[in-house]
Amino acid sequence: MDNLFESPIFGVFITLLAFFGANALRKRIPLAIFNPVLMATLSIIVVLVVFKIDIDAYNKGGDLLTFFLGPSIVALGVFFYEKYEEIKNDFIPFFIAVIVGGLMSIVSVVLILLLFNVPLVIVKSLASKSVTTPIAIEVSKIIGGIPEITAGIVILVGIFGNAFGPAILKLLGITSKSALGAALGTAAHGIGTARALEEGKLTGVYSGLAMCVNGIVTAVATPYMIDWFL
Amino acid sequence: MVKSLLYIFSFLVLGEFLKEVLHIPIAGNIVGMFLIFFALKFGLIKLSAVKPASDKLLKYLVLFFIPYGVGLLAYFELIQAYWLYIAIAVVVSAVITLYLTAIILQKFGKNG
Repeated sequence: MDNLFESPIFGVFITLLAFFGANALRKRIPLAIFNPVLMATLSIIVVLVVFKIDIDAYNKGGDLLTFFLGPSIVALGVFFYEKYEEIKNDFIPFFIAVIVGGLMSIVSVVLILLLFNVPLVIVKSLASKSVTTPIAIEVSKIIGGIPEITAGIVILVGIFGNAFGPAILKLLGITSKSALGAALGTAAHGIGTARALEEGKLTGVYSGLAMCVNGIVTAVATPYMIDWFL
Repeated sequence: MVKSLLYIFSFLVLGEFLKEVLHIPIAGNIVGMFLIFFALKFGLIKLSAVKPASDKLLKYLVLFFIPYGVGLLAYFELIQAYWLYIAIAVVVSAVITLYLTAIILQKFGKNG
């Protein structure tokens, strides 16, 4: 048995199994908290803890999957181009809104954590919390955060935005469909975009594009901002 | 499919290469993302040439980062010690981000 756990097959298999199961669960119970990524992640964690399987053994397979994040980030550039073509006429105000929102996301989370005297490694891990997970992971690695903490928090931020984003914005007086989309994509990346798509096509396009633009803004700005603040 | 995957990896290699030689503090794959966007925008490559592979990669994107989420397990104690501060910071920051982005676009946007 130990041999199987030490092989990459185990990590890949259990991840596929958990993801398949989580997707099936979501289809039956369409609640934000039953987000497939969250449920798949939690169920794998439970299996590793219950059967006392070492995380390094799991990662032999896990690393094979995470390898594909690199080419997937390049693929986001293609996605960005497609969406960009759809909203060219509104690009300048949109671009400014996402840049301001994205930069303030980094500033606000870093300042609040510094105020609470949280260890710097956590501050660095959370600076990129609003952007799509693969980019957030890269940013975290470059500025000296812990990519695993980044990934976990980013997923939770996405679920928060997905579940509560539209209600919060409505409460704050936001009625514009494009504004709702841009906000969800900027603050809550792909998981927020999934919700934006449910609100309508225009909202979805703005959200997807905002996710890409904020990914770029955060990737470029965070290393410099962390230098200034810390 | 193979051709479009080759394109994607070519931009990935180019991005990693530029990161190394120019010493920029941005991951090579993100540099590759910029480059492929501009290559499409300026007509150097066609959308149809890269779309098959990019659509497939994005379709399974979430599967690729699940192992990082699982890795959080190794940092359980660190998170447990600071979870309340983390939760407050993240929620307040997310609401600020949502509102600022939305209010600017609602005031100055054209598409409603």
